[in-house]
Amino acid sequence: MFSVARNALSVGIVHKFAMLTVMLSVLPRPATTVRYEDSRASSTPRKSMASFVSPPVLKNVSSLPKTVEVSIVAAPARLELLPGKLTDVYAYNGSIPGPTLEAREGDHVIIHFQNNLPEASTIHCHGIHLPADMDGSPFGLVPPGGHFDYEFTIKPGTAGTYWYHPHPDLRSEYQVAKGLFGALIVRAADDPIASIPEKLLILSDNRFLPDGSIDFPDSNSVQAEGDEENGREGNVLFVNGKIMPTLTIRSGEVQRWRIINASASRVYRLAIPGQTLLHVGSDGGLFEHPVEVKDILVASSERVEVLVRGTGPPGSAAQLETLPYDRYMPQTRSTDWNVAHPLLTLGYSNATPVTPVAIPTVLRVIPALDTTKATATHVIVMSQGLINGQTMDMQRVDVHATLGATEIWQLENVVGMDHPFHLHGFQFQVIDRNGVPEPFRSWKDVVNVPKHESVRFIVRYTDFPGKWMFHCHILAHEDHGMMAVLEVR
Amino acid sequence: MTRTFRIARRNLGMVVSLSALAGCVQQSPAAVGRENFAASQQTAAQEDQILLGRALVLNHDCNGCHGGMSPDSPDWLAGMKTIDQQFLIGPCAVTPGAKPCYITRPRNLTPDNATGLGRFSERQIFNALRYGLRPEDTPDVDITSRTPGVGNFPKRPRYLAPPMPWPGWRYMSDRELYAIAAYLKRAVKPVVNKVAESDGPPDFWASTYTADLIGPYPPPAFPAANERRP
Repeated sequence: MFSVARNALSVGIVHKFAMLTVMLSVLPRPATTVRYEDSRASSTPRKSMASFVSPPVLKNVSSLPKTVEVSIVAAPARLELLPGKLTDVYAYNGSIPGPTLEAREGDHVIIHFQNNLPEASTIHCHGIHLPADMDGSPFGLVPPGGHFDYEFTIKPGTAGTYWYHPHPDLRSEYQVAKGLFGALIVRAADDPIASIPEKLLILSDNRFLPDGSIDFPDSNSVQAEGDEENGREGNVLFVNGKIMPTLTIRSGEVQRWRIINASASRVYRLAIPGQTLLHVGSDGGLFEHPVEVKDILVASSERVEVLVRGTGPPGSAAQLETLPYDRYMPQTRSTDWNVAHPLLTLGYSNATPVTPVAIPTVLRVIPALDTTKATATHVIVMSQGLINGQTMDMQRVDVHATLGATEIWQLENVVGMDHPFHLHGFQFQVIDRNGVPEPFRSWKDVVNVPKHESVRFIVRYTDFPGKWMFHCHILAHEDHGMMAVLEVR
Repeated sequence: MTRTFRIARRNLGMVVSLSALAGCVQQSPAAVGRENFAASQQTAAQEDQILLGRALVLNHDCNGCHGGMSPDSPDWLAGMKTIDQQFLIGPCAVTPGAKPCYITRPRNLTPDNATGLGRFSERQIFNALRYGLRPEDTPDVDITSRTPGVGNFPKRPRYLAPPMPWPGWRYMSDRELYAIAAYLKRAVKPVVNKVAESDGPPDFWASTYTADLIGPYPPPAFPAANERRP
């Protein structure tokens, strides 16, 4: 009642607002959410009986020790993403997700990249500490028909779950949505949980037209505006390119899941209702200790490693879901944001239960970066589409740093929408969030900064001078200029 | 509590405080050396600007929505703190439950970095008051046109939510609007108060705040068609 009275009073004071209220009474409900539901209705239902498949693994053609030499071709393809329909896509070596690059710490990696796309592209090995000119950033575009050999050595301590994807300025969202993403797994010789069976889960989403083609709305449409604001979210959710696949587990079995969020913007809040998860690692590999959680937030481009314990009886089933998470501004929030979406069925085999393996309580030691050694603090203000009030300029250097220096980055999100922040080339450690110290140490290359919150992290530029990107990993935001340049000299 | 009462009381207070402050700003040039004189002139000019901004904030009743009874109040311009400070926009303002129903939550105008205006430049605040452009969505630049998509005026402008009366207040001079920005950024104490984003249409009111609907800026030269020289 009071709100109404207050409002009416303002109408009296502000002459132009009176007209506004009248106008609104005849306005239809804005179209974004309506269109979203339309496209949902025309899409294939999520439930299917697909079985869980792992992406293919890239063939190492090198006979040299500690060398991984692979070929990746990006090219247009026509694949069956929706049952019974063919979709024109871009694919790495003809598959979505692209084939997995497997390497070990200390390996020398050579990627022969052939770009057979009709547009410039790159291969960005997201999260890997490598020379700047091997980073596949917008500074290193490979033209259509062009070829580039990425070559780098994987440093000790890198073991973890990474991914590769294109990173051209302005076109990253489009190319990833068209199908260009794949996993990059780095293993350590002394992995304490190497004996636990492992599954790779690459999460992606997409939106389709009734004929099966990928829905890229006209740039002037309301839908495109929503995509620009939220990042492009799809209503069809894939795990390793399959809709709602069934992954088999045996009662009592423990599985190690490496999960990659390869969606252009969707944030997953992962949970298996009825059981907890053992969170054992993030972007840059294992934690020091496992952490018991009910659900895990995985922002765009983040990775997590979890141990899933088969606590159900033989023949039963559970479900991996993404729970509601409000990262949005209310103006452009989709109508189904507050609904859980199923991702995968965890199907228990009929085999007799096994005794669960013991899970080590210490996984590894992560040396702390010393905040008293930090020589500078960079304040990075993230607003909608802007970093420090500006859009991306390749000619400009936004942050200068010295090789070998340890520095603090203070990320401040000043808008009512989450922004997952990604720094290229260097893993960092979160110090605190809104002044609250991070409860445990981990290596990160992406950190989600929620609405009107702040995060501080510490980073050491151990190697590799050059120009590095940092940006919001909602790919639409990145493409529209929410990206900037760090130069390490 | 009635709002009319509050406004009357505050305006009385303003007359007193402004006349008192006017005396403080004046300084005797003879008392200071040449350099100090230049510096003091600058300080005096800055203080004039701040006091102008303060007067405009008071006489435009910014705190009527954005909080605080007077500059003494701990919640002075700190934004919405209780639900009765929010606005229902649209038919539901008249008929409860009617759709569409949007909610405008008055923002924190204090210079707190995380929750207020601390990370916006005075130019961004000026652009908000002159063009209605949300500072968090608009680059920190001098806007070069009045038309979306022309010059560097955003193609898809995102406007401050109603009832923020910028369509009227944009007619203040550059000097006045920059004075408001200077007062908010430099002379108000920061208050930590996180206000939830307002709920509005997905076009951020772009189809509502067109020139056809809110009138021209700048206004036509005097005398315009429906005016006369006295």
